[in-house]
Amino acid sequence: MKNILLVIITLQLFIFDLKSQEWIVPDDKKSKLSTFPFDDITRKAGEKLFSVNCMSCHGTPGKGNFLNLVPPPGDPATEKIQRNSDGEIFYKITTGRGQMPSFKSVLSSPEIWNIISYLRSFNKTYQQQVMAVITSSAYPGADIGLFLLFNSSDSTVILRASATKGNSTVPVTGAEVKLLIHRTFGLLTVDEAKTTDKNGMATFRLPDNLPGDTSGNIMVSARFVNEELFGSSTKDTSLCAGIKTIPVNLVADRAMWNNVRKAPVWLILTYSLGLLTALGFIFYVLMKLRDIFIVGETLSSEKPSKEK
Amino acid sequence: MKPDKMEESIITSERYIKKIDSVSSDILRNVRINRGFILWMGFLSVALAATLFAYTIQLKEGLIVTGLRDVTSWGIYIANFVFFVATSLVGMLISSVLGLSGAKWIKPIARIAEIIAVAFAAVAGLVIISDMGRPDRLPNVFLFGRVQSPILWDVTVVTTYFFVSLLLWFLPMIPDLAISRSRISDRPKFLIKAYEILSFNWIDHKKQYEILNQAVRVLLILIIPLAFAIHTVTSWLFAVTPRGGWDSSIFGPYFISGAFVSGTSAVIIAMYFFRVNYKLQKYLTEDHFEKIARVLVLVSIIYIYFNINEFLVPGYKLKSIDAVHLKELFSGHYAPLFWSVQLLGLVIPVILLLFRRMRKPFPLLIISGFVLMASWLKRFIIVVPPQAHPFLPVQNVPAEWLVYKPTLIESAVTTASLILVIMIITILSKLFPVLPIQEIAEEETRAEAEQLNSN
Amino acid sequence: MSEKKNKKSSEDSKIDEALESSRRDFLKKVGIVGAASVTGAAAVYSGYRYEKSKSTGDTIKVLTEDNRLVEIPKDQVKDYKPGLKVLQTRGREGINGKRWVMVIDLSRCRNARKCVNACQGAHYLRPYEYHINTLVMQESVNTPAYYMPKTCQHCDNPPCVSVCPVDATFKRQDGIVLIDNERCIGCRFCMAACPYSARMFHWQEPLSKEADKGKEYNIELNVPQKKGTISKCLFSADRLREDVLPYCVSACPNGVFYFGDENENAVTNGTTKETVSLSELLEKNGAYRLMAELGTKPRVYYLPPKNRLFKFEKGAETDYKETT
Repeated sequence: MKNILLVIITLQLFIFDLKSQEWIVPDDKKSKLSTFPFDDITRKAGEKLFSVNCMSCHGTPGKGNFLNLVPPPGDPATEKIQRNSDGEIFYKITTGRGQMPSFKSVLSSPEIWNIISYLRSFNKTYQQQVMAVITSSAYPGADIGLFLLFNSSDSTVILRASATKGNSTVPVTGAEVKLLIHRTFGLLTVDEAKTTDKNGMATFRLPDNLPGDTSGNIMVSARFVNEELFGSSTKDTSLCAGIKTIPVNLVADRAMWNNVRKAPVWLILTYSLGLLTALGFIFYVLMKLRDIFIVGETLSSEKPSKEK
Repeated sequence: MKPDKMEESIITSERYIKKIDSVSSDILRNVRINRGFILWMGFLSVALAATLFAYTIQLKEGLIVTGLRDVTSWGIYIANFVFFVATSLVGMLISSVLGLSGAKWIKPIARIAEIIAVAFAAVAGLVIISDMGRPDRLPNVFLFGRVQSPILWDVTVVTTYFFVSLLLWFLPMIPDLAISRSRISDRPKFLIKAYEILSFNWIDHKKQYEILNQAVRVLLILIIPLAFAIHTVTSWLFAVTPRGGWDSSIFGPYFISGAFVSGTSAVIIAMYFFRVNYKLQKYLTEDHFEKIARVLVLVSIIYIYFNINEFLVPGYKLKSIDAVHLKELFSGHYAPLFWSVQLLGLVIPVILLLFRRMRKPFPLLIISGFVLMASWLKRFIIVVPPQAHPFLPVQNVPAEWLVYKPTLIESAVTTASLILVIMIITILSKLFPVLPIQEIAEEETRAEAEQLNSN
Repeated sequence: MSEKKNKKSSEDSKIDEALESSRRDFLKKVGIVGAASVTGAAAVYSGYRYEKSKSTGDTIKVLTEDNRLVEIPKDQVKDYKPGLKVLQTRGREGINGKRWVMVIDLSRCRNARKCVNACQGAHYLRPYEYHINTLVMQESVNTPAYYMPKTCQHCDNPPCVSVCPVDATFKRQDGIVLIDNERCIGCRFCMAACPYSARMFHWQEPLSKEADKGKEYNIELNVPQKKGTISKCLFSADRLREDVLPYCVSACPNGVFYFGDENENAVTNGTTKETVSLSELLEKNGAYRLMAELGTKPRVYYLPPKNRLFKFEKGAETDYKETT
């Protein structure tokens, strides 16, 4: 009885443990497929990307030399990882979890598919399914455009999406859009992703502490979240939506650590006055030495006659 | 040297002229280039050449040949520099502080003290160059000098102090040179010529004494702030950093008081040497040793006081970074060195010197030897151990970086600096009168005159 | 007696006269020399001014790297490859309008030391020469041990820069503390002054002495490294000029480093390339700066090692005990 209980407890713990480690992928993401077939070129590209982005933790596929972390990263060539669907692997690389970083801002979709293509080369039984070319685009054949407008009264950015085909322009409705701000090393997402209304409009609220350039301009970029459906149409616009930022010059003030021209005034004065005083006294003494010489010269010219 | 009316009569008196003859013959006896001098200088030159060879290795290979590494990046070069600056301070103590306060007994010693000041200050500048990674870029200090850096202040004050010390050695010697120039006719020509030039037309005239006294008094006053400046600035090389063990607000007076200890002991050793080797027992009397021993006791007690301040206060609070450092000193790796320096070089000498018998020349020499050696090691303790324990742990570096051990090359270069000091002292004391002839003669004449008057 | 007195006073006046006339003479000489040197200096200066004005005769408008339209003398337009002088000048000025800041998330560091390797590769350092080092930290037995990447903190009140005698290490307007290995005299005062032990010294010939031969010295990369001078973390100033993240930041596999411009209030993670608001990141994670009590005002922020997703390896603790 005791033993059985123990087994049950252990089993439960085990299951619990497994559960906590299980990485659940939303159903709609599981079935995601690559839009292009995997071949040697994609595998080569994937290998390169893998070695740069993944190898430091996952090791070389098939060698089992992944890092000893909790939970273990695992060898991508093993069944444990290979039993994931393409969509599941894509999701996991994109979002990351725990120690595994998110790669959504690092790798583009095609790049992630290239990596999956490389990983699948370790799976003999793998048969690729390619996603059918999208025919169900909401606005087939139309030019989709995004327009941004800054409303300074309530510091919102209004986005309008429209599809133009021939002479007719219709609003793009029900599309998820996001707003990004250009920063030195990347794009900063502001507010949440919004869905366009029946007029093709969406409103984003800007944080009120967004620094712009010296006149308050910021470069804003609008994108569709689902780029497969609407195309990778982006719109970069400079809006006067930020705080006017006069860059702080860190070396403007006089300071001990600044260069010699910006030394504290009292220090320059103390040093130079001290030095000048000392040199002045030395000069005085040297002059005295000269005087001794002159006195000797003046008097000795008559002294010899005296001595004689 | 003060030309009041009595003085004047002394200077012109018969007795004084005779006195000059006897004193100068005693002192000028040693001013000669004899075989001993040549052999000694030859020996020093050979030793210097050998040690400078070590420096050429350092120039070629870089500071890798020293025991210095990223953890302890200042070692015995800097400790030696601090020691030299400290020892040179004694010129100010003897001539100015004691001299201006009217102590007559320092007259025969003043010049010895100035010789030591000049020699140590001159070589201190060179010592700092030996520590530089790029000595070839020394001109940068003058081209791009930053007024905010204590190094710039140090360069400024050490140079100024050197020149003022040189003047303070030279100016009071002008009358002696004039006296000597007619009495050294059997010496090499260049020496006679040098005496003639350097005596600046001195004809023993009242007016000249007046001018000379003015000049010397200005120097004696000027050198007090300068001397305080050089060693305070040297202490700031450490105190302006946030490191435990260096981050102390009493570092200035702590260094100054320590400097008086090392300088006084150096002067005592020099006094003993000149007394015995130059046979000057008549002028450097036991009484002089007695008096300077008392000075040594006084400055040592002041230094002990600052030591207590420097170690007790942080030791009481044991702030994290001080705690590690003090533990190393009190009971750790540096404990044997620390305690022997504090006891053998400071506390025990003071206790011994309370006994009259210990203030006799020879025991005093031995005690001063200990004090001087401890002074050098104390600079090592001040400079090196605080670096071994920075705020952040030292990791992922070769194990030998953790404890600093001076290498042979480093020791050789340091020895070179000591040889240079000895060479300068030898030259200054062998080619020029080591005691002030005129002042001694004047003083003795006056003493005798007073005795006659009272009789 | 009176005769004597007279004689004396005549002698005195003679002396006074001699001293007086010689002094006048001397002052005159000094005056002439002084005047001559002033005139000479003025002439040299006006010549210099002329030379300067001459070269600004023909100007041309150019767009600088930081998107400013400036007018420069035509004869100063050169090929893009910057020479030593340009590298030195622009390296000392820094990048206009920026205020670089680094955020280090200690909860993510598991001592992979990829940052260290990338940095040593870029700057040609030996395995034990560090611009960035990862340390094992433990304050006491009961507080957690954690790994801490340690770069130069690029303080806004840098003790190392204060003490430099020759302006060889200096702070730029964009906050970076750099070293000019062409000027450094190797006194190591800055090493003594740095409380973060961020500086290293080239005790011997640098690693790539042969490979670097003939290469132009880049003050923003400290390459070629020079024997007998200081080196340290530069925030990869050479990469920042091209708007690329520092070597260590992009090399980290664990998302430890964020880097960005404080003026923009945004930092970008080197691993995930995600850009986040600096103020929000610091606030949400309870950020702190190393040894803030020293008043050095570092430009590097640390996020505490909270909610770590990996186990701290035991071996490292002995390492800590050994070396502290």
